[in-house]
Amino acid sequence: METNNRKGCALCDATWGEYYREIDGNRMFFCCDICADIFENMVSEVKKRTGWKNIDHVDLNGNFSLGRQCTAKSGKETFNFYFRTYSDGRMMKFEER
Amino acid sequence: MTFCPVCGLKFDRGNYRMLADHFVDQSRASDFRHISWLNRNVSKDLMKAEDLSVSLMTFYHISGGIGKWIITDFVRRFRGDSPHPFILAMQQYDPEVIRGYVVEHHHFLKQWIRSCSYIIAKTEFEDVQSFELENIMTELHGYGASEPSHHELLIRMGESLGLDRNFILAEKPLKQTVEAIKIWNDLAASGSWISAMAAMHSLELIANRDLSNHGARYPYFNPSILSDKMVPEEVKTFLREGYEADVSHSYTALQLVERHARNEDTEEIQYAYLRSAEAFSDYLEARLERGVMLGNK
Ligand SMILES: [Zn+2]
Ligand SMILES: [Zn+2]
Repeated sequence: METNNRKGCALCDATWGEYYREIDGNRMFFCCDICADIFENMVSEVKKRTGWKNIDHVDLNGNFSLGRQCTAKSGKETFNFYFRTYSDGRMMKFEER
Repeated sequence: MTFCPVCGLKFDRGNYRMLADHFVDQSRASDFRHISWLNRNVSKDLMKAEDLSVSLMTFYHISGGIGKWIITDFVRRFRGDSPHPFILAMQQYDPEVIRGYVVEHHHFLKQWIRSCSYIIAKTEFEDVQSFELENIMTELHGYGASEPSHHELLIRMGESLGLDRNFILAEKPLKQTVEAIKIWNDLAASGSWISAMAAMHSLELIANRDLSNHGARYPYFNPSILSDKMVPEEVKTFLREGYEADVSHSYTALQLVERHARNEDTEEIQYAYLRSAEAFSDYLEARLERGVMLGNK
């Protein structure tokens, strides 16, 4: 799985920090454990709602404050959603849009 | 003294290089709080300590007074292009959000008067003491039946939306509120009165109508709520009080800070404001979370 954040953290694209976590068999780079938590929660929420076994790509646009508008792709299927978390990483809002 | 805005670690006055080294160390350790501070306040891009120290110097640079510095930062943080989600939630009338506001804000006001009391106890200046005394009266005590306190108006607002007075008074605050209150109390208990004053009264900028003149993109709440027939009178009364009173209030406090601040106070004022604003951001999230919790009942 990859995201549009190629430079840094898979969630926020920051290049500070160095934290790796295996998600769906991929070793992914994050700036911190909270970004990894958020990303992991997001992935499982997308899978739950779509029934997908795996995700190929996620496009994320936005920031912490506004939340993120995303498009996930799995094979030929796509899923559009928005989410925003509390500052400790817990999900505040997740909706298909 | 220069302070780490995240953990409060102290360095020699004006030593942004030491502060930058500290941030770089924390980044190497992938510390969430330090990294997110850098991401949101300086840059998402990794820097060498020497470059970061220049960026930090720019961030802390004051032109046009400490009051102006605080206002500019506050606007960016809460009411600018990426407003706080609580501000977005207040752009339409939502009883759920208001109920969350009531339950958590009860605890905020209790800490508010405690912080103001520290300021009164620590300062030698009578203009500051009078200001804070009046503030405590307005917020928690009120002036008899004809002028109830903001705290009383808050409870009436909750009651008008179906919350029981005893529930509001007895309900424990959410975790983010507890942690924010601890920060506010520590700043007032262990810091200088002038930094505590900046830390607390800057938060009143949240409701300040004049902030549009300082670049704010969003009002505290949608003013059409005040004329909406669907909105209970008690909600309008509470919001109107803050809307009208806090304008002069908030600037007066920052003016007092500016009047009495000495050069050597600046760094502690900036530190206390930054810690307070971060705590406030988490606390505003607690209002939203509480609203969701109550809405599901
Ligand atoms: Zn990140
Ligand atoms: Zn620190």
